Amino acid sequence: MYAFEYLRAGSLAEAGDLLSKNPEAKILAGGQTFIPTLKARLAQPTHVVDVARIKDLAGITVTADAVTIGAMTRHVEVGNSAEVRKAIPALAALALEIGDQQVRNRGTLGGSVANNDPAADYPSAVLALGATIITTSREIAADDFFQGMFATALAEGEIIKAIRFPIPKRAAYSKFHHPASGYAMAGAFVADTAKGVRVAITGAGASGVFRWSDAEAALAKSFAAAALAGLKVDDSNCIADLHAGSDYRAHLAAVMTKRAVQKITG
Amino acid sequence: MTKIAFTINGKQVSSDVEGRTLLVDLIRDELKLTGTHVGCDTSQCGCCTIQLDGDMVKSCAMLAAQADGANIVTIEGLADGDKLHAVQQAFTECHGLQCGFCTPGMIMASVGILKANPNPSDEEIVKGLEGNLCRCTGYVNIIKSVKRAAELMKL
Amino acid sequence: MRLIQGHGRYASDWNMAGQLFAAVLRSPHAAARIVRIDTAAALNAPGVRAVLTHADAEQAGFKSIVGGVALKDRNGQPMKKPHYPVLAKDQVAYVGQAVAFVVAESATAAQDATELIEVEYEEQPAVVEFADAVAPGAPRVHQDIEGNVAYVHEHGDAAAVEAAFARAHRTTRLKVDSQRLVCNPMEPRACLAAFDAATGRYTLHAPSQGLIGARTHIEQITGLPAKDVDLIVEDVGGSFGIRGTPYPEYFMAMLAARTLGKPVKWVGSRSDTFLSDYHGRALALCGEVALDETGRFLAFRWTDEINLGAYAGPFGAFIGTQNVSITSHGVYAVPAVYVRSTLAYTNTTPISAYRGAGRPDIAYAIERLVDQAAFEHGFDPLELRRRNFITPAQMPFKTATGPTYDSGDFPAVMEHALKASDWAGFPARRKESEARGRLRGIGLASYLEAAGAGTFNKDQTAARVGDDGRITIFCMAGGSGQGHETTFVGVFADELGVEQGVIEYRASDLAAADLIGNGTGGSRTAAGQGSAFKALARALIEKARPLASALLGGEADYADGRFSAGGKSVGLIDLARKMARGADGRHPLDCEAEASSPATFPNGCHVAEVEIDPDTGVTDIIRYTSIDDLGNVLQPMLVEGQVHGGVAQGWGQVFGEHAVYDRESGQFLTASFMDYAMPRADWLKGTFTRESHPVPTATNLMGAKGVGESGCSGSLPALMNALMSAVRPLGVKDLQMPVTPVVMWRTLNQTARKAA
Repeated sequence: MYAFEYLRAGSLAEAGDLLSKNPEAKILAGGQTFIPTLKARLAQPTHVVDVARIKDLAGITVTADAVTIGAMTRHVEVGNSAEVRKAIPALAALALEIGDQQVRNRGTLGGSVANNDPAADYPSAVLALGATIITTSREIAADDFFQGMFATALAEGEIIKAIRFPIPKRAAYSKFHHPASGYAMAGAFVADTAKGVRVAITGAGASGVFRWSDAEAALAKSFAAAALAGLKVDDSNCIADLHAGSDYRAHLAAVMTKRAVQKITG
Repeated sequence: MTKIAFTINGKQVSSDVEGRTLLVDLIRDELKLTGTHVGCDTSQCGCCTIQLDGDMVKSCAMLAAQADGANIVTIEGLADGDKLHAVQQAFTECHGLQCGFCTPGMIMASVGILKANPNPSDEEIVKGLEGNLCRCTGYVNIIKSVKRAAELMKL
Repeated sequence: MRLIQGHGRYASDWNMAGQLFAAVLRSPHAAARIVRIDTAAALNAPGVRAVLTHADAEQAGFKSIVGGVALKDRNGQPMKKPHYPVLAKDQVAYVGQAVAFVVAESATAAQDATELIEVEYEEQPAVVEFADAVAPGAPRVHQDIEGNVAYVHEHGDAAAVEAAFARAHRTTRLKVDSQRLVCNPMEPRACLAAFDAATGRYTLHAPSQGLIGARTHIEQITGLPAKDVDLIVEDVGGSFGIRGTPYPEYFMAMLAARTLGKPVKWVGSRSDTFLSDYHGRALALCGEVALDETGRFLAFRWTDEINLGAYAGPFGAFIGTQNVSITSHGVYAVPAVYVRSTLAYTNTTPISAYRGAGRPDIAYAIERLVDQAAFEHGFDPLELRRRNFITPAQMPFKTATGPTYDSGDFPAVMEHALKASDWAGFPARRKESEARGRLRGIGLASYLEAAGAGTFNKDQTAARVGDDGRITIFCMAGGSGQGHETTFVGVFADELGVEQGVIEYRASDLAAADLIGNGTGGSRTAAGQGSAFKALARALIEKARPLASALLGGEADYADGRFSAGGKSVGLIDLARKMARGADGRHPLDCEAEASSPATFPNGCHVAEVEIDPDTGVTDIIRYTSIDDLGNVLQPMLVEGQVHGGVAQGWGQVFGEHAVYDRESGQFLTASFMDYAMPRADWLKGTFTRESHPVPTATNLMGAKGVGESGCSGSLPALMNALMSAVRPLGVKDLQMPVTPVVMWRTLNQTARKAA
C-alpha cells in the first residue's frame, strides 16, 4: 500500500477533529474491506483514523420497538447476541452469513453500511427494516441513505454512530453466495414491518441495494411465496459482468425473495 | 511511525511500525515467526489466520498498529511445550495436510470452530472453513481432522 | 510434525543477513511494442539499489527461456519458437509479462519504485482466443511467426482411420473445451538468491519440483554452470506441475545478488501467481468415433487445438501433442487412432503442465464421446463400454497409439464402481429428487493415465550411515505435499525390516549425495524413486552381508533387520554402529542404487451423482465414487489424499474455474480470488467413497502405478457425464466446462423455451 499516517481516535470529537484537519483522511473500522482496498493501491489516504476504541460506537441496546447497534459492533457480536437473536433473528442470521469466520470477527456494521458495497449484506437489512442511521450530526432514514454503488448520504467528516432497527413482526434473509468472492450475488431481505411489507435486494442492482416494490405490493396482499409467482425484478438496472448477466441476477433476486418468504412462512 | 506493544505466544513484544505495515508482515519479518503464511492479496485464502484476543482473524487484513495491546497466538504458540494441541494432533492422525502451506491457517480456523462449538456437524465445520483455501487435500481429510479434534478435546 | 507447528521452511521463509528486496514491473498490455524504458526516476527513489531490465539480462549473457518440443512435423519442420526473454525486450506479448526487476532496501521501497519506472508502449492488437489467432489476417503475436501456428503434430495412422470411417456403420462427433485454468498452488512464488564471490557459487532458495531439472534449466538460460548453483528446496507449498522449472525472477535475483554483492529476496504476490505462473489446460478436443453394427469402435479421430500462450514454455507443447496422443483411445481396444494437434500462440500467459498435463483432457474427451455415441445410437452406455474394453486376456496390449499396456482389468474395475456407487438404485433416487423439484444425474468415467514420464531414464538413491547406525536416505525428487518422507522411508524400512525411526529422508541434497533423478511430476515417484529405494535397501543388505558373515563366522542370512549364521545373529543397525569409517570418511555401508521404471498405466472408474436446482442452476454432488487401479498401494492414506485433491481440482474445472481474457483488449479479467472461483470446503455436499482395485504391475519393483493425477482424469468426465445425464431428458444437447450456475440456468431455460 501507499504510505499513510496512522492515527487513533479516543472519542468522536477527536475523530471529527482529525478528519476535518486532514481532508484526505479515511476512517478505519473493521478494515475487512478497507485494508484490502489499501493493499490493492486503490485508495491513497494521507491519514487513517482508527475508531475502534471509541466507546460511543459500541454496544447493543434493545427497547420494546427497536434494536440499536453501535457502529463498531462486529458481525460476530451481532450474530451471537442473545438480544438480537430474540428481537430480530433475521438480522443475527444475516450477520453470520457475512464473509467468513475471520471477517466476522473484525468487520463492523458501521463500516459495511458506510461503504455501501453493492454486494454487501447489511444494506439489505437496513433498507428492508426501515432502519435509521444515527450519525454525529443527524439521523438519516434508510430510504434516504443509500444513494448508489459505494455512495451514501454521509457528508464529509460525518461518522455513523449507530443504527436503530425497528423490530419487525417477522423477517428473513436469503443470500446466493458469489462463487468466487463470497459476497451476495443476490440477497433478499424480506420484512413484515409495522409500516408494511418491505423487500430489499442487494447484490443484483447496479446502483446498490434497492426495494422491490412489486414484490412488496404482492406480499402485502398475501404474505406467501405463491404471491410472487410470475413477478420479475427489472433487469435493466441489474449488474452484468463476467460472472453473470443481468437477467440471471434479476432472476436470482426473485428466487432469493421467494426463499426468504418461505423461511418466514415455513 | 506508531509505537505498539502486545503479547505474542506468551511473550511481550514492542515495535515501532509504519502505518502501512500489515500485522502479518510484522509477525513474519520482524518477529521471525514464519509459520503464519501469506497466500493471497485479497484476504480470501486464510493462510494468515491467527488468534487475536481469543478470536480468529486474518492477519493480512489488519494493520500492525491495530494490534497494540492485543494478546496474539500464532501456530507456533498453539502447542503446550511438547504437547500438541488436539487440533494439531488430529490433523496428523487424519492426514489433514499435504504441502502444509494452508495448514497453520486451517488449524487456527479449526480451533476457532471448536471454540464456538465443541460439537460441530459437518455442515458447521464446512461453514467455519469458508475463509480458508486448500489446493491439495480436497478438504475431505481436513473436515475429518476437525471432527477428530472434537473427540480428542472431549477426553 | 514441523508443518503443523508452523516450522515449515518455504521459499519466502528464508532470510539472509543484509538481504535486499525485489519487486517486478509487469506489462499492463497484452500486445505492445516497447518504445522506451526510463528507469532514472526509479533509480533515484529512496532505498533503491538497482533497476534491471532486458539490457542487464542480455549483458549477463542470459539466453531464451527453454521451451517447446524437439519434434519435427510431417514436413520436417521443427516447432516455431520465438525468443522468450527473461525480461521483455522490444515487445510485451501478454499482460503480466515481466519488464523490469527493482531491488531496494525494503519490499515497500521496491514496490513503490516500480511505479516510477516509465515505459513507453505502442499498443498493438491482441488475440487471446485460439480461433482468432489462427484466423486469416490475425494480428501476429510474434513478428517472425506468420499465422501464429507454432506446430502441427500428428500421431497415429490417418489412412487406417479414414478407411475405418468409410466403412463405419455409424459415427459420432463431439467437441469439448478444456478451458484455461490458473493452477494456484497455495504458496505464491518467491526466491532468495545469494552469491559468494570467494567461491563463485550461488545459493538459491525457490520452490521446485526437482533439483536436477531446475539446475539444468538455470544453466541453459543463464550460462551459470549447474555445479555452481546450490538450489535449496525444503518445503514447497504445492506445485501441481507448474513449479517444475525456474522462472525469470529467480535468474534476475541471482544476477542482482552477484552485481550488488548482497542476497536478494523476491516474494511474489497472488497476483504475480495469477499473471505469471504458467497456466494450465487451454485446449479443445474434437473427437469422432466410428462404430460397427454391434457397437465396436473401429477408430477414433481427434483434432486438438492448443492455446500455448505467448511463448513456448518448458512443457506446454508436450501436453497437446505427446501426452494427449499416447492415451487417445483410453481403455478401449481401438485398432486405429489418429490425432492432429495444432499449437498456436496467443497474447496470454504461456501454459505448462498442470496436474495431468493433457491426460485428464483426453480422458475427458474420450468418456464424453463414448457417452454421446451411446446416446445417439441407442446403446446402453455401460454395455457400449463393456463391448469395447481391452480385457485382461489381451494384456500386454500393444496400443494403436504406441505404448504397450502391461496390466489392467477395466471391466472388473467398472463393475466394482457400479456396485460401490449403487448405480442400479439410481432411478429410484432420481424420482425422489424430481419430487422435490430437482434434476438428478449419474455419470461414469473409465479413465486411463500414462504415468511415470521423466527426463531421466533412471532414478538414483543413496544411503549414508551415521556413526550411531542411523541411516539417511537421499533422492532428487522434490516434494510438495506428496508425503515422500512417509512413502520413501516406509519402502526402505520395510525392505530392510527395521523400524522407521532409524531412517531419515532428505530430498535434493546434492552436497551429501551427488545423484541424478527425476523431479516429482507425472505421478512417478512411488514407482520411480520408490523402486530405487527398494533397490537401495537390497544393495545395503548385500553390502553388509559379507561383513556380517565375517563377524558371525558363517554365511549370513538376512531377515527382519538381522543377519544370522550358525545360531548367532546381529542386527543391521548394531552392525553399522560397530564399523569404523574409511580414510575417505565414508561408512562401509554407504551405498547407492538406481532403478529404471518405465511408464505405468494407472486407471480407474469414477461415478458421480449430482442434483441440480433448476431455480438457481446450482449443482450439488450427492455422491462421488472413485475406484482406482493404482497397482500396489504403498500408503493408503496418502493415496486417498491425492485422489481427494485431484477430484476437487476436477470439480473446480467443471463448475467454476476459468482464466478469462477480454477478447478485444487482451486484459486478464480473472486475476484474483475475487473473480477466480476456487473449490472451498463446501464443494462436496455428499459422500466420497474411495476404494482400490489393484491389478499389480511387474514393470517396477514397487508394483505401483502412480496416483497423483488420476483424480483429475476421472472427475472431469464423471461429473460432466453426470450433468448430461440429468439434463439430456429435458432436451439439452451439450454442456461445456465450466458449468457455472448461470450457465446451467441459461441452458435449461433456453432448452425449455425451444421446447415450448
